[in-house]
Amino acid sequence: MKPSQSVHVLEDKYIEKTSTAADTPTIAKKGLSKKTRENIWGYLFISPWIIGFLGLTLGPLLFSLAASFTDYNITSTMNFIGLDNYKQMFTVDTLFWTSLWNTLYYVIFSVPLTTAGAILLAVLLNQKVYGMKIFRTIYYLPAVLSGVAVYFLWMQLLSPSAGLVNTFLGWFGIDGPAWLFDPKWTKPALLLMKMWSVGGGMLLYLASLQGVSQQMYEAAEIEGATAFQKFRYITLPMISPVIFFDLVTSTIGAFQIFQEAYVMTENGSGGPSNSLLFYNLHMWNNAFKNFNMGYASAMAWLLFIIVMALTVFNMKFGKKWVHYEGGDKK
Amino acid sequence: MKRGLALFISIFFIISLLAGCSSGEQANQAEAKTKDGKTVVNFWSFWGSETRRPIIDKIVKDFNNSQDKIVVKHTFLPWGDIWTKNLASVAAGNPADVVINDINTVAQRAKNNQAEDLSKYVDDSFKNEFYPHLWQTVLYKDKPYGVPFNTDTRLLFYNKTAFKEAGLDPNKPPQTWAELEEYAKKLDKKNGNRYERIGFYPLWGSIGASSWMASADGGKGFIDNGKLNINTPQKVKALKWLQGWKERLGDKTVQSFQADFGSQQANPFIAGKVAMWADVGTFYTQIRDYGKNMDFGVAQIPAYNDQSKHWADGGGFVAEVPKGSKHPKEAMEFIKYLTGEKAQKYWALKNYDNVANKKGAEAAANELSRQAKDIYKMSVDNLKVTNLYPTPVEYPDYQNRINPYIDNVMLGKVSPEKALKQAEEDVKKMKK
Repeated sequence: MKPSQSVHVLEDKYIEKTSTAADTPTIAKKGLSKKTRENIWGYLFISPWIIGFLGLTLGPLLFSLAASFTDYNITSTMNFIGLDNYKQMFTVDTLFWTSLWNTLYYVIFSVPLTTAGAILLAVLLNQKVYGMKIFRTIYYLPAVLSGVAVYFLWMQLLSPSAGLVNTFLGWFGIDGPAWLFDPKWTKPALLLMKMWSVGGGMLLYLASLQGVSQQMYEAAEIEGATAFQKFRYITLPMISPVIFFDLVTSTIGAFQIFQEAYVMTENGSGGPSNSLLFYNLHMWNNAFKNFNMGYASAMAWLLFIIVMALTVFNMKFGKKWVHYEGGDKK
Repeated sequence: MKRGLALFISIFFIISLLAGCSSGEQANQAEAKTKDGKTVVNFWSFWGSETRRPIIDKIVKDFNNSQDKIVVKHTFLPWGDIWTKNLASVAAGNPADVVINDINTVAQRAKNNQAEDLSKYVDDSFKNEFYPHLWQTVLYKDKPYGVPFNTDTRLLFYNKTAFKEAGLDPNKPPQTWAELEEYAKKLDKKNGNRYERIGFYPLWGSIGASSWMASADGGKGFIDNGKLNINTPQKVKALKWLQGWKERLGDKTVQSFQADFGSQQANPFIAGKVAMWADVGTFYTQIRDYGKNMDFGVAQIPAYNDQSKHWADGGGFVAEVPKGSKHPKEAMEFIKYLTGEKAQKYWALKNYDNVANKKGAEAAANELSRQAKDIYKMSVDNLKVTNLYPTPVEYPDYQNRINPYIDNVMLGKVSPEKALKQAEEDVKKMKK
């Protein structure tokens, strides 16, 4: 406590000094208080961002909200049709339900799997073994490779008869599935591909693992704690803020899955029996293939509400298990 | 001093942001005319490949040299991107003057105000230069909104060596579905449980379930003159027939063969893994280039039975003037050149592509020789039995609704009768 207090004292003195020296004359000169002037400067500095946000983000955002109540088709019509788009979604469009189901399936499996995978990998890569840096690089590499090239690579790996995955399974006498050609296996195939690139999350966990104080492990060892107990009662709570962050962002990201499905199903056709028709893909098809921009906007807002609700739930529920070292700051 | 600098930077940012919005406009207006007073026509195409780019650039150059009022500027945009970009530029009121677009969706764009009505620039003699089934497709409420550029049709390529090996007459390709099936069975070659060669599979190549279903149904597609024509007895029969192929060969065989073509390293027909193959006429160039000395023949797609026609389906591209183009008249001048006999013949010869201009196609056929000539002629003749299935404005999404049902039938999840009934109901619900 002591050192930080003294810093505060120092800072206060400094601020006092500067304010007395520089400000009294200027107030008299321009009649603007220091606070006002600093605010003006602040706004001026962030003005490029504000203009960008208002013009390029908030504007289109509100426009799409308005468009969701119209039959907007980009080039000719924009008539107010009330809640018709939303009604059509729930009552008429069967593909909407398919796409929502596909997306939920993906979120439910991918988020826990990739989170657990990344933690497991990070714990393994946190061991003190000779040549660990090489292993860390190897596991992180897939996260560096760019999307589309990776998807093409996986399409080859998952090829039913000649692909590496099924060849590998064949060595153990397992007759591998047809992966991307069998609607039952398309989503698991995608999950498998995602597991390959958990390196990005792994890096976050690795950083936070290195921040966990050794003293606690030492204390636990003296008390005779097992390796599992140390992991469960020290490691997990200590890295829980990172788990929480990863959980929230990857849930949001998983709902927005698009690129993979677009590339791997011939320009967004949705794969066999529409088993890879994800929410965003269906929305994109409506917007740019069928020109139903109003309907697509309505879909976008519904997704926003779903994701928002889940994030609020995560935030509320997170308090129960996330442990902040400095206490729960609000 | 520092504050002055900060203020300067902030203001600089704001001004450059505002300037960024307006400078584009100015540049475009400046580009509308060249220094020597020629009108600039901006032309967008997706023909950027090594083979196609020089061909289209040559046509553009020839046009620019042929007169002194218009200069065409060709911009290549990648496949797919070109249309989203076109849509955005039409919405922004600043489009190109000529865009190459899909022939089957002209009416969609006409209805949605994305393309200019070209009726005041064309007369009957111009219209008659093109194959009627193509011209029909560019009309919306009887007015043309594009000019056909190229097209295609499906033919059956068959491996004569394999025919001889299977004891079939290499000069008698199958004429009906029944013959096709009979020949295919003879052409299958098995080693234990594994297929080394498959005689034929109706969903491979450049043909799909909808083509066979239309062929069985007298050439009628899923939507016939605005009426839903999905759940018909003939289409159910065709779907059952397709299911039969899959059952005979087995899911595993079909999927593993299919996945191998996915990699597109070697075409399975050229590699001798499939003995008969339905594809577009241009497929000939692949055999020519990669299948040295391959002994093969070409025939029409087998007909449903000996009383029906050898229906095939086609597609193609049109040249359109996007709505809001600043120079529609000049744009149309260029389109007339692009779709005229000379340019069309050049395109046909260089690409071995079916072109929309009748005289251009015939001139190209006469200039080719031997097998190239025979196959090209056959593809031109085949246009008589080729149908296009333009997307009806009332049902823009109909294919996406029907395809999953057909997939499910092929996977044995649902019966053809039930699938087509549900598909028709689904499409009906989505009517606009």
